[in-house]
Amino acid sequence: MEEFKLTTIEEFEAETNKLLETGAKVGADSWQQRAANQTPHCKFGEQGVCCRICSMGPCRITPKAPRGICGCDADGIVARNFLRFTAGGTATHSDHGREIAYTLMEASPDGPYEVKDPEKLLVIAKEWGVETEGRDIYDVAHEVAELGVMEYGKVRGFQRWIKRATPERQKTWEEQGVAPRAIDREVVTAMHMTHMGNSSLPEALIRQSIRCGLSDGWGGSMMGTEFSDVLFGTPHEVETEANLGVMKEDMVNIVVHGHDPSLSEMIVKYSETPEMVAYAKEQGANGIQISGVCCTSNEVTMRHGIPMAGNFLAQENVVLTGACEAIVVDVQCIFPALGPLSKCFHTKFITTSDICRQPDSEFIHFDAHNAKENAIAIIKMACENFKNRKKELVYIPQMKQKAVVGYSCEQIIKKLDGVTNSNVDEMGTYKPLVECVNSGVLRGAVAMVGCNNPKQRADFMHVELMKKLIANDIILVLSGCSAQAAAKAGLMDPRAKEFCGQGLKRVCELVGIPPVLHMGSCVDISRMMRLVCDLAKDMGCETYELPVVGCAPEWMSEKAVSIGNYVIGTGIDTFLGINPYTSGSEKVEGILKGSISEMIGAKYFEEHDLDKLAQMMIDRIEEKRAALASCN
Amino acid sequence: MRLLDRVFNGATTIYEQTVKAVDEAIAKYGADQAVSLPDTAFALPCYYAVTGVKVTTLGEMKEACEFLKNSNTREQRLADGFTSGIATAIGAEFTEAIKYIEGNPYEEPIVAHFSDAMVRELGLPLVTEDIPGVAVFIGEAPSTQELCDLIKQYQSQGIFVALVGKCIDQAVEGNAKLGFNVRCTPLGYHIESVVHIVSVALRAGLIFGNITPGHNEELKAYTMKRVKAFVNAYAPVDDVTVAFGAGAIAYGFPVISNDTNDLKPVPKSIVIQPDTTKFNATSIEARDVRVKISNVDIPVPYGSAFEGEIIRKGDMKIEVDGSRMDCFELVQSKPLAEVEDHKIEVFGDDFDKYEDGTKISMAIIAEVAGKSMQSDFESVMERKFHAFINCAEGIMHTGQRDMIRIRVSKDAFNEGFRAKHFGEILYAKLKSEYDAVVDKCQIKIYIGEETTRLRNELATPTFDHRDERLGSLTDESVDEFYTCILCQAFSPSHVCIVTPERLGLCGAVSWLDAKATHELDPNGPCQIVKKEHVIDERVGRIEEVNEAVKKYSQGALEEVTLYSIMEDPMTSCGCFECICGIEPMSNGVVIVNREHTGITPVGMTFSELAAMTGGGVQTPGFMGHGKHFIASKKFMKAEGGIQRIVWLPKALKEQVADKLNATAKELYGIDNFTDMIADETIVEGDPEALMNFLTEKNHPALSLEPMM
Repeated sequence: MEEFKLTTIEEFEAETNKLLETGAKVGADSWQQRAANQTPHCKFGEQGVCCRICSMGPCRITPKAPRGICGCDADGIVARNFLRFTAGGTATHSDHGREIAYTLMEASPDGPYEVKDPEKLLVIAKEWGVETEGRDIYDVAHEVAELGVMEYGKVRGFQRWIKRATPERQKTWEEQGVAPRAIDREVVTAMHMTHMGNSSLPEALIRQSIRCGLSDGWGGSMMGTEFSDVLFGTPHEVETEANLGVMKEDMVNIVVHGHDPSLSEMIVKYSETPEMVAYAKEQGANGIQISGVCCTSNEVTMRHGIPMAGNFLAQENVVLTGACEAIVVDVQCIFPALGPLSKCFHTKFITTSDICRQPDSEFIHFDAHNAKENAIAIIKMACENFKNRKKELVYIPQMKQKAVVGYSCEQIIKKLDGVTNSNVDEMGTYKPLVECVNSGVLRGAVAMVGCNNPKQRADFMHVELMKKLIANDIILVLSGCSAQAAAKAGLMDPRAKEFCGQGLKRVCELVGIPPVLHMGSCVDISRMMRLVCDLAKDMGCETYELPVVGCAPEWMSEKAVSIGNYVIGTGIDTFLGINPYTSGSEKVEGILKGSISEMIGAKYFEEHDLDKLAQMMIDRIEEKRAALASCN
Repeated sequence: MRLLDRVFNGATTIYEQTVKAVDEAIAKYGADQAVSLPDTAFALPCYYAVTGVKVTTLGEMKEACEFLKNSNTREQRLADGFTSGIATAIGAEFTEAIKYIEGNPYEEPIVAHFSDAMVRELGLPLVTEDIPGVAVFIGEAPSTQELCDLIKQYQSQGIFVALVGKCIDQAVEGNAKLGFNVRCTPLGYHIESVVHIVSVALRAGLIFGNITPGHNEELKAYTMKRVKAFVNAYAPVDDVTVAFGAGAIAYGFPVISNDTNDLKPVPKSIVIQPDTTKFNATSIEARDVRVKISNVDIPVPYGSAFEGEIIRKGDMKIEVDGSRMDCFELVQSKPLAEVEDHKIEVFGDDFDKYEDGTKISMAIIAEVAGKSMQSDFESVMERKFHAFINCAEGIMHTGQRDMIRIRVSKDAFNEGFRAKHFGEILYAKLKSEYDAVVDKCQIKIYIGEETTRLRNELATPTFDHRDERLGSLTDESVDEFYTCILCQAFSPSHVCIVTPERLGLCGAVSWLDAKATHELDPNGPCQIVKKEHVIDERVGRIEEVNEAVKKYSQGALEEVTLYSIMEDPMTSCGCFECICGIEPMSNGVVIVNREHTGITPVGMTFSELAAMTGGGVQTPGFMGHGKHFIASKKFMKAEGGIQRIVWLPKALKEQVADKLNATAKELYGIDNFTDMIADETIVEGDPEALMNFLTEKNHPALSLEPMM
């Protein structure tokens, strides 16, 4: 049998460099080049001490000018910027969730959008008090969707789903005044608080950052996850592949990119029809190969095993292969660079959402009413483009790894059921995992998430941290671009158990899982929040006592800060590899990395060095274990 | 306490105890004192398996204690728990080996160390899942009755039982049947005795899995996947037992315990079952043991554990004795219309009418019908009667055809066992094991006078007819051979090629068996190998055979020959009945069977010869094979055939004499060839003495070309 080995970051980079040579030939620029052009970055911006909220400024804080024109000091400015950053992320994630809710409203037995997981819908309906008895499942779906949309503007009360959290969390949120109200209201409150002449008290601004984040994690993102599961099916274990080698030279390559699965699901659905395959063949190709980039890719890989071509910083690479007939995008994390880049090749850059309009793209407006026609139109456009390939520019790096993905909470529990003993154990819980943690077979878990960021070598921190953690019997749950980094490296191949400590290796063997579990896209970090709360319940402790930490070593987007806030809000310490523009205020840093834990039981840690960051997480997990009675 | 700390505490205790024992032994015997465990080719097998180093003297043992020390790391990681647990087992192996310095320190019923031959004997039943698992008991059960019930439950499932500690006394007190033959073996009273069963598991990896000693990770993967052992540890479980448990878990064997005091559960590894009466179901599920469900409707327990049970004369109610009376057993295929399914008829007086200890004549005829039934399968099924009937507790069966001996114990009789129950057993087993060919089955049992007539009119002509058919079955007369990869569950790269004149090396699969197996399960272990392109007739090199071997060994083997032991000889799994090895001085070969423990003229025992091959590896000059192959005209035909045989153990020689002499007469015109073959009564470890004997007898091998 062929020996299994992980793909190294150096191997990633060698292939990227070859692709950049192609780019150089056609005069394309690249994020590598643009990052160099932008360096050094504006120091004031980097520290978060630049304020341009009103037109008296912009003001920037220096030792000589410690206050802005209005008198706001660095602490106020940094904290305001932090809250606005959070609000941007919350708005983005949550609006994605809202779009899915609107799609659910359109679900129909005649398609194109159907209820694929009625069981999950019924669970939600029950939680929300929606009558299900004797009702058509689509009536239930529409009512649940309507209620979901109402969560964004509800007149009173808190997010419905916070009841899924542990009683202690709910109590803490209420006591600390961070229980999330209407999602839109939390964003509006954030914008209002940060308007000129409102809050400059760091504690208050950070408190709202947490509440705003919680409305994302326990509101908008959870809606995105749950309703996507209802519409497209709850992910279950499926085998796939990752890295650019999944693109095929003899096929029409369509790359889906973005976050909202409504579009990509349709592309996948219709590309598999015999008509479309025949159409591709008519155009001289052997068929259609769909692959993905970023979280849209995560969505379709989790549900259908569609291969992952790459993550955030690989989005230009797929075009640079010269073999991408169309890169079809929905929303978020789409480089405006794709427009000019696609013009250097035959690639069609197709935008589909009013939210994401970009120059040099072909815009095909996509919604529930025209989904089928437009999906087919897009696929046909890609097929017709196959003949326009410039053969001399085609280079697909033959680099890919097998990955087993699809670990929704439901799937994880099902896998854990497989190691229970029906004579003594309860099924349908995380208790087998609890036993592994209590006994020390597993030391704990890390939820590693987030993007790529040119401030770190692409994927380096993700992959190398994972290797160190699994070698220390720490299991990982992943989402977003972190998950794709792992898949590309080979860490989602079950054979990666060989790189684990004996404890995690044994767990992988017995449960039948890879050591790092793909839980989905970035909205699916809501799955992780459910996981930690249910785990705490099964372990008989509070979330903040769990030997579990979050980590975003290469994060870059506003969404990531919103996520970080709801993760610590849920009681899970979060380790960052990039500073969130707060280094300009000791006070704000002091709160985020210190006193905030008194309020909500968890805080931020920050470290840019790989070894130190890994050790900090291991130490923190051991610290939590030492304090936990069940582990001793 | 943290679970790993409990492991470390226990490991420290055993480590210190080991070092003390070694130091004391050196003080007493000196560092050069040889140290070993009996009848194994693997030195101290656990230490050898784990490290690849053989410890043969106390001095080496002292050095090896360094390894134990280095294994006792103390990080809070499972890896440290595993190495400490393994070191604990090895420490126990050292102290046990020291006890053997002055001979076997144990008395009946304690078995303690298992010889290699015993391990090999377990090979086939483990592969066929006739022994689906191994249960190791540690400590004292809540009651004697409960323990004996549980042992019986495992035995009736075929599960091999090993006992450590006070449960041995409980088993003795409760009259549980003990011994290797009934698969319930007391290992010893001290917890260290548990290493003897660990040693069996690790040697299985070396023997059947061809794991290179020292490759401990591979060994762990092998035992975890293939050796379905588990431990039942009764409360209270102390730290030392926890440390041994860590060693067991390292090799994939879960621990089930009713100790609810500070023993942390771990899925599929440490299962806390407070209710000891549920240990059976809990343990089987914890280790994923697949128990064959055989619903045999008889009043006594039924399971492969009882297969080796011996019924002594004084304990028997009746004896069916084919050597003195007209008895036989027979399978006959019939048209579907003539068979009424599950009809069991008894003709003559049942056992009640006889005094205790009476010899009776009895005939058992199984009439089977099915659309895919072939008369060739009759003998295949009939030969299984032995195993089928033996699995009933209190019933002993030996022999076949009209030379059978069946004993029914008084206990079984008192439990209600009567003649018709033979019918129930055979009906249930024939229908379940041969379901693809047996659609209907009825059984007729005759006791008394009628048997003589039936034997003469029905059985004898059938047997004669079959012998004629078997005699005409040669490798040349058929178009197809079969693979047998039944053993791949244990020996992943071994493939047997079964031909009419060469049965499987385990002795259990003849060409007809393979043919029937293929018919029963077309995608199963026996696949057809067409014999179309013969490359070399002399050595039996055939293109299709090579292709099959390559395919089914997953590329581990490229070529084998059927008739040579020098050129690409056929591999073996490790559970062979006999091993044949060249004896260079005489240009001959010696053959030794598993049961023979003495030394051969080549200076090696069965275990040592066997360790030269096995695990699917080709070792020219050494070959594992079945007993019946010895008299085959194809036996090492390429090297000149059976005239190369210069030495056989006496018992084996007697067993094969008739056929071997017939073959020698036919091939070479030699009369009484076996008289020329030496045995242990003539010569044991001395090749010179062998040469003298052979010269005196003018043995034909002496004039043959050297094989090397």
